[in-house]
Amino acid sequence: MSSTITSTATTITPGQTIQPPVNLPSTAAVFSGLLRADLTTQWRNRRASIMVILIPTIILMAWKGLVAKFGGAFVLSNCITVGLNAIGLMGYTNTVARDRDKGIFQRLRVTPAPRWIIIASRLVVQLAMIIISTLILFLIGYQFDHITMPATGYIYAFLAAIVGGAVYLSLGQVIVGLIYNPETVQVTTRLVYFAFIMIGMFAQFGMLGKELGNIADWSPYGAVRNIISASLSPATWNNKTSTALLITFGYTAVFTILGIRWFRWSNK
Amino acid sequence: MNTPTSQYQPVLRVENLDVRYGSFQAVKNVSFYVHPGEIFGLLGPNGAGKTSTLSAVEGLLKPDSGTIRVAGYDYRKQPLHVRASMGVQLQSTSFQPELTVSEIIQLYAGIYGIPLTPEKIVAILAGIKLEDSANKRFGQLSGGQQQRVSLVIATIHHPPLVLMDEPTTGLDPQSRRQLWERIESMRDKGHAILLTTHSMEEAESVCDRIAIIDHGQIITTDSPQAIIDSNRDKPEVIRASRRGKITLEDVFIGLTGAAVRS
Repeated sequence: MSSTITSTATTITPGQTIQPPVNLPSTAAVFSGLLRADLTTQWRNRRASIMVILIPTIILMAWKGLVAKFGGAFVLSNCITVGLNAIGLMGYTNTVARDRDKGIFQRLRVTPAPRWIIIASRLVVQLAMIIISTLILFLIGYQFDHITMPATGYIYAFLAAIVGGAVYLSLGQVIVGLIYNPETVQVTTRLVYFAFIMIGMFAQFGMLGKELGNIADWSPYGAVRNIISASLSPATWNNKTSTALLITFGYTAVFTILGIRWFRWSNK
Repeated sequence: MNTPTSQYQPVLRVENLDVRYGSFQAVKNVSFYVHPGEIFGLLGPNGAGKTSTLSAVEGLLKPDSGTIRVAGYDYRKQPLHVRASMGVQLQSTSFQPELTVSEIIQLYAGIYGIPLTPEKIVAILAGIKLEDSANKRFGQLSGGQQQRVSLVIATIHHPPLVLMDEPTTGLDPQSRRQLWERIESMRDKGHAILLTTHSMEEAESVCDRIAIIDHGQIITTDSPQAIIDSNRDKPEVIRASRRGKITLEDVFIGLTGAAVRS
């Protein structure tokens, strides 16, 4: 051991501790730093983000012919729900699973960043994705499918998309809570995404029978689609939609509690 | 803010630490301390409990009992103060692969509340001879370069305590020597350093004191030379000796056994 040492402030001898008071960074500063990094990461992974938005956009364009038959709210709400599914299940879930596997969370956890901020920053990025995706679908629906909704409809649907997006983000949290291997998480989210979309879509057209149609109507896909559809066309909001909204909150609450309880920061 | 208890206490004080995984007790009543300007090495075979001990100090796992104080702050009462008082270099350097080196430095500086201008980041990188790598992704750097960046990030806030988990694993001899010099330079600046290592050469070369841990318990603590001197006559150490001269590795094998641990 050297006989004297020079700290940042003073010279001290071994055995003596000069302990500078710790200045904890503000929550806002930590959050801003993490958010900047998470947004940069999302931007550098923009190919995946584009794919998440591209699929509902293609469906929206392909369903142009259904607008006259089922209405703009029906078509648009389905496409927004598909987009929310993709953002929550594939965007958020897979990045969390990957970063956990790479030890990125462990590295952040040994810093003074409060742990809830690490996740909150990621959720804000996904919220931005929900907003962008919904806006793009509104625009494509208007430009390509000539879907026009009342101004209040767009505003309510925007809020409903955020509420609905929370269901899939929390479901994603459950999946990363239950499954640790990132490849298995990826396969599972794709399966759940595909199942939700296929069952939800076919069931609403009555192609899977009445019983399965009813189940699908109250599934995370059906409930979210119903509240977005009724929000786009506020005059159609009824008791069934209110029940769907309550169920949506219920799904989010249950998935969030389970997702947080089961979540582990490390795979090891 | 609470002020640290004393100016004369060790930077890190671990007392009666117990860590259990279910019914298995990985760490049993471990106590040690690290002073400022001291490099303290934690040595042990695989599964001996050194990583569990280090993880408890890092705050990555919750000990079942015992106390951990860093710079006078108690982990149970002021975890954020403790984490702000230490810098950590994990075994695997784990940063977002999409971010560049300068973005990673900026992120961690922000987390520690250190404002950095782009010029300052370049100066930091120049200090570790990586000024040309500011815009490279972390994964594009060599192992030695990654370790240098990782160490810069661990000490960006000038923490009283630096924790390093097997810092030279996988490095070539040149990079390893360079890292040793950096660790010694940190010691000279007043940092207390706790490192784990499997390398007896590393322990002998850079550590001021070491603790050998086995089956979750510290079996000896002292300077490397003092441990060699106090154990050189033990039959199990002599049996472990390969070249006549007793080395730290011989003492380590003698004390912990020659059987390979899983």
